[in-house]
Amino acid sequence: MSSIRPRPLRALSAGLALPLLVLAGCSSPATNPVSYDNWNAVIDDAEGQTVQLWMYGGDDQGNAYVDDVLAPAVAEFGVTLERVPVTDTRDALNRVFTELQAGRADGTVDLIWVNGDNFRTGREADAWLCGWTDVLPEMANTDSDDPLLESDFGTPVDGCEAPWHKAQFTLAYNADAIPDPPTTLEGVLEWAEENPGRFTYPAPPDFTGSVFVREVLASVSGGADEVPAAYSDDAFDELTPALYDRLAALAPSLWRGGDTYPANEAELGQLFADRQIDLMMTYGPATLTDLVADGTYPPGTTVLPLEDGTVGNASFLGLPANSDAVAGAMVVANVALSVEQQVAKAHPDVWGQFTVLDIEGLDAEDRALFDELPQSPVVPGYDVLSRNAHGELSAEWVPALDEGWRTNVLTR
Amino acid sequence: MSFAPVARRPGDTAERRRSVLLVLPAVLVTVVVVGGGLGAAVLQSVGLLPVVGPATPSLDAYSAHPDDLLAAVGVSLWIAAASTLIAVVVGTAAAIVIVSGRLGGRIVGAIGAVTVTVPHLIGAATIGLLLADAGVLPRLLGISSEAWPALVGGPWWAAVIAEFAWKESAFVALVVTGTLATRVATYDETAALLGAGRWRRFRHVLLPLTAPSIVISGAISFVYALGSYEVAWLLGRTYPEPLPVLAVRLFQGVSLDSRPEAAAVAVVTSAIALLVVGLAFATLRRTAAWR
Repeated sequence: MSSIRPRPLRALSAGLALPLLVLAGCSSPATNPVSYDNWNAVIDDAEGQTVQLWMYGGDDQGNAYVDDVLAPAVAEFGVTLERVPVTDTRDALNRVFTELQAGRADGTVDLIWVNGDNFRTGREADAWLCGWTDVLPEMANTDSDDPLLESDFGTPVDGCEAPWHKAQFTLAYNADAIPDPPTTLEGVLEWAEENPGRFTYPAPPDFTGSVFVREVLASVSGGADEVPAAYSDDAFDELTPALYDRLAALAPSLWRGGDTYPANEAELGQLFADRQIDLMMTYGPATLTDLVADGTYPPGTTVLPLEDGTVGNASFLGLPANSDAVAGAMVVANVALSVEQQVAKAHPDVWGQFTVLDIEGLDAEDRALFDELPQSPVVPGYDVLSRNAHGELSAEWVPALDEGWRTNVLTR
Repeated sequence: MSFAPVARRPGDTAERRRSVLLVLPAVLVTVVVVGGGLGAAVLQSVGLLPVVGPATPSLDAYSAHPDDLLAAVGVSLWIAAASTLIAVVVGTAAAIVIVSGRLGGRIVGAIGAVTVTVPHLIGAATIGLLLADAGVLPRLLGISSEAWPALVGGPWWAAVIAEFAWKESAFVALVVTGTLATRVATYDETAALLGAGRWRRFRHVLLPLTAPSIVISGAISFVYALGSYEVAWLLGRTYPEPLPVLAVRLFQGVSLDSRPEAAAVAVVTSAIALLVVGLAFATLRRTAAWR
């Protein structure tokens, strides 16, 4: 018996070493810098390319817009647009990281619907192609001084992503259950304490839960202006104890006594639909119209305007540095920015996303297209939603606040 | 007392060499795929396969969040142990009913066969719809969601354990039925003819003969429950997280240094799984039917 044993062992170690060598050999990222300074060259190269757009797949209206409106529009340029649904934008970014780690220059991810900390992490890893948005003709219709488009959660955009639409963090409540709704965020927290079990928020690092924590940070700090947008350890140490104390004090009044939290906005929406909670929150208020119309959400669902305002941001289309369809992706980003596409997308029946274009700077004819958009019975217009709005904190705040929430609120 | 019903056949050297050659392709593929994946995870966990920057060996990934890791090990072991125990008891009982050959046995067999084909993800979604606070069951029973126990996302992980136990008991039943249907039936009949009652036959004939299949299928379902992500994620709670949920959260974390931490969790999970498989083989060698 003992004479046979060493042999399989040796074979095993040799077998293990081989794949390890292969993996170790390709750990250095290989990037494929393709740069264009001429739009016509982009159009020429894009013909026949297939662009894979990786985006959050849980929004039916968004999926339908891309498949039925955007894809046919780019098909006129000979570009095939394929939508790859992901549960979290991080999945798409991780795919890019993995391919970069493996040294693949012909990446499968050509565009990502992205913003915030994902964008920043991508920049840290040099995962984005930069300086390509200046070439897009439709960029002329955006306001180059718009702070939402200049920096993405405090990270300079620097032409590393093309603007796609704007969003406004919004709270909504069931007016049949709350006849006298609160008017400030602190009022919301107090309402939650007066009505135990009828309020909760998704657990960070979920996107929506994370925004809510930042809103509470602004509220307990005495307003959004009191929180410096740029992250510093000093600011974090000074401001967050009040935040976590407030949320820890709130926890026993939450759904299930704060014993557990919904994992994401979809689970939160399910609780709201089941009438287990009376207040919910979303970064995509456009979806409310449909959910009320089809009876999923209570008929009394109403958007809750807050005196202290809520956070607004823009989201973008990022182009990974190792994409194998750079020209095609640029064409998609350009078409997506066109007036026709931005108007179509803003229609409440299509997707209801707010435009990134500078409406004041448009031709009268184009401006009229936006003015003629019908109003949703549930969701007021962007000008109402974004009243007193404040900008996002820098992306460095996000993981720090999320991690702090885990240690100070969740596992307290 | 020991039963040694099947004597091991001493094969000659040529035959042994041929059988080694026959399994070689499968072993090679397994070693490259599993070895490569595990090797990459080990390398990442000790900082030798960074997304950016130079490779610097360190064990920081293992000691970054000791509390989270310990809690994850505890929860994962609880889920895997509880669901495996239920699965083995229910599965073995079902197998005995199935081989009885009566109508009830055929029905149980059919239900078991159908259950095995349902993917865990579908199973988890179904259990969630059934057992949640505002799920189908509380609605059918007319119980308000406040009064319904927190099965989904509750402190005992009841829905997660129920899903694994339900799926794996069908798997255990299938494997054990296979053993019972072959050679065991004749021994059982012989024992019956010699006057052994039901319980004695179960204790001295069925159980020793099926012990190897029970141990193996139990080990497989334990390791599966330990490493399965979707069921625990869908039906579990925010904290503490089981190992696979912790690993995926860290892997998807926005900061680049969380990838080594995710790999470290994966390596710990694999180590526990290998330990359990090792224990199962050690137990197997002690069973009467194996000797």
